[in-house]
Amino acid sequence: MDNLLLSLTNLASVWVIVAAFAGVLWGILGGALPGISPSIAMALLLPFTVGMSPTVALVLLASVYVGAEYGGSIPAILIRTPGTNSAAATVIDGYEMARQGRAGEALGISLISGLWGGLFGLLVLVLATESLAKVALAFTPAAYFSLGILGLSVIAGLSGGSLLRGVIAACIGLMIAFIGSDPVSGVQRFTFGSSDLLDGVKPILIMVGLFAVTEMLVQIGEPPWAKGGTGSTKLKLPNWAMSKRLFKPQAIGAVIGTVEGVTPGAGGTIAAFMAYSEAKRWSKNPEEFGKGSPEGVAAPEAANNVVTATALVPLLSLGIPGSNSAAILLGGFLIHGLQPGPMLFQKAPEVVYGLYGGLFIANIAMLLIGLVILSPCMWLVNRPKPYLIAFILALVMSGVYAIHQSIFECGLVLAIGVLGYGMRLLRLPVLPLVLGLVLGYLVESNYRRSLLISGGEHSIFVTDPVSVLLLGLALVLGLYTGWKEFSDRRKT
Amino acid sequence: MNDRRVDRITGAVGAGLSISYLLYARGIEDSLLADSVGANGVPMGVGGLLLLASLALFGKSWVEPVEKQTLPKEEEGTPLHAPAGAAHPHRMALGLLAILAVYVALLPFLGYVVSIGLLVGSVAWLAGARQRVSVLTCMVLAGPALWLLFDWALEIRLPVGLWPLLRNA
Repeated sequence: MDNLLLSLTNLASVWVIVAAFAGVLWGILGGALPGISPSIAMALLLPFTVGMSPTVALVLLASVYVGAEYGGSIPAILIRTPGTNSAAATVIDGYEMARQGRAGEALGISLISGLWGGLFGLLVLVLATESLAKVALAFTPAAYFSLGILGLSVIAGLSGGSLLRGVIAACIGLMIAFIGSDPVSGVQRFTFGSSDLLDGVKPILIMVGLFAVTEMLVQIGEPPWAKGGTGSTKLKLPNWAMSKRLFKPQAIGAVIGTVEGVTPGAGGTIAAFMAYSEAKRWSKNPEEFGKGSPEGVAAPEAANNVVTATALVPLLSLGIPGSNSAAILLGGFLIHGLQPGPMLFQKAPEVVYGLYGGLFIANIAMLLIGLVILSPCMWLVNRPKPYLIAFILALVMSGVYAIHQSIFECGLVLAIGVLGYGMRLLRLPVLPLVLGLVLGYLVESNYRRSLLISGGEHSIFVTDPVSVLLLGLALVLGLYTGWKEFSDRRKT
Repeated sequence: MNDRRVDRITGAVGAGLSISYLLYARGIEDSLLADSVGANGVPMGVGGLLLLASLALFGKSWVEPVEKQTLPKEEEGTPLHAPAGAAHPHRMALGLLAILAVYVALLPFLGYVVSIGLLVGSVAWLAGARQRVSVLTCMVLAGPALWLLFDWALEIRLPVGLWPLLRNA
């Protein structure tokens, strides 16, 4: 209780409040720019935190993370370009709502779901860090492999009614994920001798190419008099009836985001896709998903915003940075002479609980800043279509160059855009490809590490308790989806 | 294209891709640190799965009656048909791709400010903007505005090309 009071005292600290608002604003800007990941936005501010007090510095960095994860949803909804990896699932229904002239409603749902997600994650962080840290420790390579398989089991739900097409798209995603150095032996694979591909293909390049470049290649073919923009520029927050409807998908997103967040390496992208798929499975209106369902925006947004807080569980309690963003935050701790881990709570409780207080302010700041900036954002995308397409492409190509200052990656994004265009012609769903890409490394590296540990015995996957649980869950979900598809086809 | 034809083309393309992939994967040599699966073990498995799924889709299009096919609904905006009087969507897409490719090729030489200005102007013109003053204004303003955002505010170094003075400014 004393510690909670300690965190509340930070709510009255002017510098903590300033840091939270500035961090969120910077994060939203970075998150909304394709190519600027949350970790890049945080890293850009890291040098400036040296002269600050530890609490203010860490609140600033954590607020950037909160803002960036939320900011990624704005271009995802308005221009079909996820600003961050985890916003890719928001594109599905968010952009569809924007096409129907409901951009204000989609942005309102995303903002409120993000707020609830962030606050729920913070509550989990404050109350359950110690016990949840044990979950992170229970994850062996076999369990990570099974977690990846569980993630892949949602492909059927993202395949638009054709499982075969979903499998084909997911295989293409996995193939792209295998480009680069082999995770065990370091052998080069599918690099065609190019040193630019040694590190593999970053998921954000694929997402920008598949969503933004492909969309622009399609839109340029529509006649100039074709309908453009999103209609109204008024932000519409969910009313009571809508809030009741969104409760279930938000709760699903919150639970999945909590589990994925505390698991180092799992991250918000997998959480968002799984939350989307499960929200669809448990929805009373599953047929609306993919056609502009508010629930399809609420679930992934709640999930990836929960992760912004719960991803700090392994960092604070064990000193394990589970993502790039957490690693930058770890850098923030180290700069100020603090070592995250079990002793942090004894040595510097004022910093830890100050960070909790700062995260609360950051979530409120996200709401207030969102309320101010979303209408101008909608106004921007209602500009005449030729200029809008030109502006989006300029922003996208600049963002892609900004990632590694690489001309090669700019060309790669164009090639991926052509791949996306071809996939549209062949009516292959894009989302299973993204899922395969994101999960490819996780599945392969942990499959092989597990076999190295077990001496080549596959039984390790059914003797590890967490692995069995996850594989069982994947089997149940897979069978349920298969049965549902079969029964739906019989009905039609 | 009808549903059967799309299924057949998709199946054939998928099968072709998987066979090339499997052949390439088979040629990957393992190092001395290799495990029992090897560097090509998992890719071979995925290539095989793609081959099976592609053949199944291809075969399904011959076996299944047309009315039973459940192809994902065509997305709105899918570039399949050109309205009367308009340039064909594929030609427009190709034009846009050419502009983007020229932008990527010129970026190191002309520098960011000039290249992005040319990109904005040419894309806007291709997309149907015909007001010369507006297009020129966008061309002139886009480069400096985005330069200020990325290079100055975010400190992400953009290519200066022929204009090294920009870096010293």
